[in-house]
Amino acid sequence: MPEPESLFWVAAVTVVIWVGIFFYCLRLDRRLHQLERGE
Amino acid sequence: MTRWKPVLVWLLGVWMVVVCWAAFFYAPTAQGFKGESARIVFFHVPQAWVAVVAFCVNLVASIRYLRGRDPVDDIRAAAAAALGLLFSVLATISGSIFAKIMWGSFWNWDPREVSIAILLLVYAAYFALRQAVPDEERRGTLSAAYAVLAFVTMPFLVFVVPRIYWSLHPDTLINTSGRIDMESRMLQVLLGSVAGFTGLFAWLYSLSVRLARADLRRRQQEGG
Repeated sequence: MPEPESLFWVAAVTVVIWVGIFFYCLRLDRRLHQLERGE
Repeated sequence: MTRWKPVLVWLLGVWMVVVCWAAFFYAPTAQGFKGESARIVFFHVPQAWVAVVAFCVNLVASIRYLRGRDPVDDIRAAAAAALGLLFSVLATISGSIFAKIMWGSFWNWDPREVSIAILLLVYAAYFALRQAVPDEERRGTLSAAYAVLAFVTMPFLVFVVPRIYWSLHPDTLINTSGRIDMESRMLQVLLGSVAGFTGLFAWLYSLSVRLARADLRRRQQEGG
């Protein structure tokens, strides 16, 4: 059984990875939206 | 739908943060697994689920392409196959991490591991085929026909083969007796994660299709 602290860090890394993917996709979504409006 | 899209996207963002938190702190430690290794199920199962959904979307778009020869259907099919392949790779990686913790090795030649490896090869060949044919219409037709054949293998490799042979893999969510034997909080988190991953797939699929359509329009404009 790992220490609760190590579980916290695994959870934190998972959340950071998700937030990174989320904002990357959000940025791509906005740029695509601008591109589609410009056409 | 367009009006609600930003709200849905932000809801997905928050939902997945909650799922990540719940996977580690709300769901209890599973019995019969080494340490906290069973928590990987909250990510591994949704990844495998999304891969199956993506291959189904690939099949539908491929059939539509064969019937109507609309280049957008070819774009949809390729985007779905790419996401299916991506999520299959993620499911394989997360499964290998679980295998290392539980059985001491990342790869055990288990029927489920071998069948997912074959499935990866089948869909990797789809992209090899697409790369090999320069003519767009011919590429669309050949890859759509291949996608229909590839899909036939999918239910056997994902659902049938791992159930025929003895496997190290833990019982699936709906086990051989047709019941769901999972602690209620674990089941809540798992279903929440499946919903979140499905939403993520829908978003990524929409982005991939829009990106490929923008590229198609640009090429059409350049070509006159």
